Amino acid sequence: MNGQSQAVEAFVKKTFTFLDETDSQQLAPFLQCFDPAASKIIVNANPFAQAALFLETWQRAVVQTQHVLTGLDYHVIPGTGTTVCSVNAKVRFDESGKDKMGQDAVLVLDTGAVPGAPLAAAPTAKHRPLWGPYFGTSVQLVLDDRVFNGDHNCVIASFNYTMVYKPDDSLMAL
Amino acid sequence: MQNIYQNPAALAQQTALERRVKVSVKGWQNATKQDLVSFVSRKARIAIMDSTVEGNLVVGFVNNRTDAQSLLNWNGVRFAGNSLKFEILGDNSGAAGTSSTITLLKAFLYKRYNPQAKMLDLGNLREDPDLITNGLFSSPSTQAKIFPAMMKLASKESQLIVESVNLSNNQLRDLNMISSLAQAYPNLKNLCLANNQISRFRALEVWKNKFKELRELLMMNNPINTEPLYRSEMLRLFPKLVILDSIVLRDENKLQQVYSIPMKLQQFFFETNELGQSSIDFVSNFLTLWDTNRSQLMALYTPQSQFSVAIDSSVPISSVPNSDQNPTFGHYLPLSRNLTKVSSDRTKQQRLALGQDAIDKMFKSLPKTKHFLQEQATSYSVEAFSYAQVQGFIIILHGFFEETAAPEIDANKSTPNSAGGRNRRFNHGHTNATNKLAKKSFDRTWVIVPSQGSVIVASDLLTIRPYADGSWVPREVPQQVPQQAHPQNPQQPIPATVPQPQMQPTMTNIPAQGLAAPLLLPPEVQAKLNPLQLEILNKLHQQTKLNAEYTYMLAEQSGWNFDVAIKGFQESVNNIPREAFV
Repeated sequence: MNGQSQAVEAFVKKTFTFLDETDSQQLAPFLQCFDPAASKIIVNANPFAQAALFLETWQRAVVQTQHVLTGLDYHVIPGTGTTVCSVNAKVRFDESGKDKMGQDAVLVLDTGAVPGAPLAAAPTAKHRPLWGPYFGTSVQLVLDDRVFNGDHNCVIASFNYTMVYKPDDSLMAL
Repeated sequence: MQNIYQNPAALAQQTALERRVKVSVKGWQNATKQDLVSFVSRKARIAIMDSTVEGNLVVGFVNNRTDAQSLLNWNGVRFAGNSLKFEILGDNSGAAGTSSTITLLKAFLYKRYNPQAKMLDLGNLREDPDLITNGLFSSPSTQAKIFPAMMKLASKESQLIVESVNLSNNQLRDLNMISSLAQAYPNLKNLCLANNQISRFRALEVWKNKFKELRELLMMNNPINTEPLYRSEMLRLFPKLVILDSIVLRDENKLQQVYSIPMKLQQFFFETNELGQSSIDFVSNFLTLWDTNRSQLMALYTPQSQFSVAIDSSVPISSVPNSDQNPTFGHYLPLSRNLTKVSSDRTKQQRLALGQDAIDKMFKSLPKTKHFLQEQATSYSVEAFSYAQVQGFIIILHGFFEETAAPEIDANKSTPNSAGGRNRRFNHGHTNATNKLAKKSFDRTWVIVPSQGSVIVASDLLTIRPYADGSWVPREVPQQVPQQAHPQNPQQPIPATVPQPQMQPTMTNIPAQGLAAPLLLPPEVQAKLNPLQLEILNKLHQQTKLNAEYTYMLAEQSGWNFDVAIKGFQESVNNIPREAFV
């Protein structure tokens, strides 16, 4: 059982690493974790028809995140070849005003700005995230039992991600 | 006035009121206000009238100044374990002085408020004729006081909805005088500080991380806007600033995209409408029994069913609304199967309950609870979707419960632990403080399989965490709006079903059958009810004259809420069969 639970924990952590990834090039293996035929994806009670659509939205329209795993439990449902998994985590967002590409909303900064001043740095330069306060999140996964053998290919049969608490002082609107 | 001359009693009353002196009492916390007032009247023979609790003070009036002075002689008198401290807060004439200033300032605020523009115009205060004639802006010291006072008043006036504030032409050199603006209007959208003498960024630093919604700022004619870093500094201080001195500095669309999540949080997700109704029926029936009689839930579980509870003890940051910063999990920790915390293989296995007996025992080891699904529907969020591999579905409920009593079985004593009784952790420094009863938040995941007209629970995963308001709960929105959206708003069903001996037909016939069992309130049922529930039953019985079984049903179906139950009873009293009454 220890091997099993370690395999589940490793997979959940890997999922969070993918969600926290800023480089869209790295996301292809994450897409492969979803069962393309029948994967159900629900985020904040909004369903996504396809994993690709969810990952594309997450990548394009959500700023950089940082997930920390705080709770994990799972049950193997006998005779189904699947496992249901309940995960709790906290998550914070990059509140620097920049998206994953490092682009912010600032239009003009010409007049008087000293050349080479920090804000005038090229947007392509790797920026340091300004982490906001932690949100709470609850995630339920239905996984194929192959996950116990370290096989992550098409193992996610459903993925339900819900923010359960939010701090007042965050700049992020849910 | 004529009235008073014709009515000497009223005149006497008026003079008496005018002579009253306002006093405050500190250090009474271990008793009620009433106890304090009776204590003072017994001990000092002085009556404190019209008393109210203000923070840690009791504030009230005594008859005259002599009484107030003699009350001061009782300073330090012991009461309920503390020594009391009396203070004179000023007599009526003094209060009148303050209150006249307050009236004056209020009138001034309303004069300067434009409800159409939602704007509070506080420009050029020192040349305002009203303020000058009242000497309120005459010296620097009164000026320094008058603005914070004005802000405090303004924030209490709920009719003043302010999105914009004008503070131009006030000869401001820094924000010391007006820094309280950030407390009064944290969500201010537009601010004008033009024509002042603000010259240094440091002066603005007190507003960093304040005014998170500030969209437009006007700072024309301040020395600061010739500084080379002026724009970038303003952008840094105000993360959502779009327009500075009438120039658009940020792309509003992009800004909105960066600071929001495209998946807008919803309270409910149901794959199909039928699933929605049946999920809500299941959840409310399940929790009703979970709160009142957990053993009856055993009919839903099979020898293969699994249940476990995981404690997520991570405390939410204090800026999460109503979050419990000091949660205790003493009753749960010996059962917790949070795999990020439990390392021993054997413990992981022990804490997974398999089959009815083990599940029943674990249910009994959890504190008794009360959920508020009916009363506070907005505090709960549900997702439900199909689970093809089990030919059933998953229901996930997020919400909170109140712990009403200690568990039947104390897991701290009964759980055999892997250390074979050698574990001294629980023998040492283990006090009741770790077991105090409180509100908790939870996430619960049920895997449900329909079976022969009923359902079974294949898997039941419960996570318990410190209480925090749900993120889906709308802030500052009145209760009605979200309740209308609630598909299960129980306006009519409760009264309608009261007289029926069975619950509404639901997806889960099992809880319904289970309910029919404890009709005569046999002792073992009574033993399972907490004192609060017994009290509700007794009160209902007295008021309605229903017999035991109907009283119990009425209480059960109203979610153990006395008022709801009485209302339901009154609305359907004519339909209740004769034999329901004693």
